[in-house]
Amino acid sequence: MTAELFTAMRQSIVDGEAGAAGDLARQALATGVSPLDAIERGYVPGLTAVGEAFSAGDMFLPDMMLAARAMKAAVEILEPALKASGGQRQIAGRVVIGTIKGDIHEIGKNMVAMMLASAGFEIHDLGVDVPAERFAEKAAEVDADIVGVSALLTTTMAGQRNVVQAIVAAGLRSRVKIIVGGAPATQGWADEIGADGYSEDGVASVALARQLLGISA
Amino acid sequence: MTSERPPLEPLRSSRRVRFLSDQQLDDLRAATLRILEEVGVKFPSDRALRIFEEHGASVDRETQIVRLAPDLVMRAMATVPRYFTMAARDPSLDLVLQDGVTWFTNDGCGVETIDFETGLARPSTKADVAAMARVADYLPSSGFIWPMVSAQDKGRTSPLHEMDACWGSTMKHVQSETIMGAAHCRYALEMATVLAGSREELRRRPNFSLVVCTIAPLLQDQPGIEGALELAAAGVPVGFLSMPTLGTTAPATMAGALALGDAEIISATVLLQLAHPGTPVFHSIMQAWADPRTGTYVGYPLDQRARYAPVEMAHHWGMPSLGACYGTDAQRPGTWQAAADVALDPFWAGLVGPEIVTGMGLVKTYTRLHAESIILDNDLYQRARYALLDLDVSPETLALDVIANVGPAGHFLAEQHTRKYMRHAMVRGLTHELTPPSGYRDPIEVARERVRTILETHHVEPIEPAKQAELTRILAAADRELG
Ligand code: B12
Repeated sequence: MTAELFTAMRQSIVDGEAGAAGDLARQALATGVSPLDAIERGYVPGLTAVGEAFSAGDMFLPDMMLAARAMKAAVEILEPALKASGGQRQIAGRVVIGTIKGDIHEIGKNMVAMMLASAGFEIHDLGVDVPAERFAEKAAEVDADIVGVSALLTTTMAGQRNVVQAIVAAGLRSRVKIIVGGAPATQGWADEIGADGYSEDGVASVALARQLLGISA
Repeated sequence: MTSERPPLEPLRSSRRVRFLSDQQLDDLRAATLRILEEVGVKFPSDRALRIFEEHGASVDRETQIVRLAPDLVMRAMATVPRYFTMAARDPSLDLVLQDGVTWFTNDGCGVETIDFETGLARPSTKADVAAMARVADYLPSSGFIWPMVSAQDKGRTSPLHEMDACWGSTMKHVQSETIMGAAHCRYALEMATVLAGSREELRRRPNFSLVVCTIAPLLQDQPGIEGALELAAAGVPVGFLSMPTLGTTAPATMAGALALGDAEIISATVLLQLAHPGTPVFHSIMQAWADPRTGTYVGYPLDQRARYAPVEMAHHWGMPSLGACYGTDAQRPGTWQAAADVALDPFWAGLVGPEIVTGMGLVKTYTRLHAESIILDNDLYQRARYALLDLDVSPETLALDVIANVGPAGHFLAEQHTRKYMRHAMVRGLTHELTPPSGYRDPIEVARERVRTILETHHVEPIEPAKQAELTRILAAADRELG
């Protein structure tokens, strides 16, 4: 019975069906299945399967996106019960990410957020055109391990420096790693503004985030 | 030694290729009208929303989404001029847009320069903008000039410094793709007015124009739109450029991506026509693909069918079109990919007939400048230009008397007719620069040498000192206020 439920949960993630994933989560709560089990034995294997298929070239970005959305739908329903039972989900780290003020380029930032999410990071996406202080506020609020700042314009990349300064001003610098990226950014630029890392694409940003937090892949 | 600017050589062709049928063009337009009426476009600008309200559009103040009824769209679109003039410092270089003539520019807004002397990558500067404008000023393929890279040494007012660098380094029309926001645009207008002599003269012969990107899907950029309104009030041409990316910012099917991009452009064009009927606007869609495995922005996949369909869509609306050529995804020039990606572009463009086209000379998907790239792309342009020229079939060129004279089994080298024509029959591109005794030089090396020669010998008449002083004063004021 529970085995069947877990199989259906896994499948809802593979199919990217948020509605089905949510229904199954409610069913789990109604039938007394532990929320932590539902997540770790039901849904997570689905995400793992999607991640593997993606790496193998059998699945594509929309599959990943829809799987992540279905996962989110399930977790939202299970989270209150999970908290009440004192259980905790394993996450690789908390990441606050956004595109800097004045800049609306969001695809690259979304890619990085998605790759990090699928590698087990909890993502807080602030969207685009985000003031530097907002990164610091959010980092404090969610107790972030990493702040990621995207900038695609040479006229906005200076804002990445402002984020570093805002994190310092908020007294968070020792707790938060700052990473930057986007077309005009380089390792040299990251060094110059006192960020902790730069990466050229989504896959490299996962390696970077893991390395900064001392996680082995 | 100084070298004269050779005469402009636009693509000229009366041949036309159609990628879309009349029915497809109508279907695409119908789709645009439905998107505009039912889904709407978001204009995060109070100024824009007010104009729409005044003209009876449906405006949702909460969401800032504007919905446009088809008759309002068609009424506004009726005032868009089909052609206009893009004027230059030297009136003989004014571009009078017209059927059958296509003017190209160089690419713009790169973020990284590969230093011509050291070969090392560094952030682009105002000096790079000036140098490349001078190179493009010399090239007959460049009808007008885009600031080729960003003046990163100038901070927030870099867009104005880029104009300053271009105006000082070319006698041709300058088109910006970075002056965003009403304040920046007002400064640009002030500078342009100094050069033109008066507001009336600027309106009559606008010496610059602006490209504003819409944000797929169906969103307008506030500074972009408000700057555009500022320029439209002065009669300066504005183009709206949508870059729908299949799969990320647009449907993963080309027709849907084109309809989406078209709706963005038309909504902005309608705004400008409502505010300033008859103001010159051009239309541009540059579709691209997101790699389904990495999200990478890909401009040149294998299947790019109907690449110049957006030009036909613009013309169907009665608007001039800014076509999209060049900007290889290759990391560096001189590679097989750098040429393969773009080689057919100017040829197709010449056959479809956009009025203006961007842009020669950047690699790595519009981000990296190697100065020699503009010369390499220029060579591809010339190949296309020649390919489109008419063949002369006449008694003189049929040369029947010469053929009879030589007869079977002779040769033509000793004929007067041959003497007259042979020297021009084979046109030398970069690939056929001789090196003794009879070989050809490496075309990349030739391209680099040309850049060097142009930079050393081609100098552009400076702006009159009084006007230059005014420009410098305006720039300083802009730096103080906006920098
Ligand atoms: C698509 C695009 C747009 C779209 C954006 C759509 C959207 N919703 O995002 C539209 C058309 C709206 C647009 C608008 C403009 N754009 Co634009 N745009 C591009 C383009 C072609 C591709 C960007 C992209 O999506 N790439 C795909 C993604 C997947 O790659 P990516 O962004 O580089 O991200 C990867 C890495 O950089 C890295 N990364 C990114 N962020 C982060 C963050 C962190 C923390 C980390 C670790 C890594 C990381 O990982 C990502 C995933 O692999 C670039 C050129 C280019 N080749 O980059 C120009 C470009 C960035 N744009 C440019 C310009 C000028 C503009 C406009 C000013 C144009 C105008 N006249 O209106 C406006 C600005 C609007 C604004 N206020 O921001 C210039 C910038 C030049 C400069 N010197 O600054 C460029 C370089 C093109 C050019 N040469 O003209 N643009």
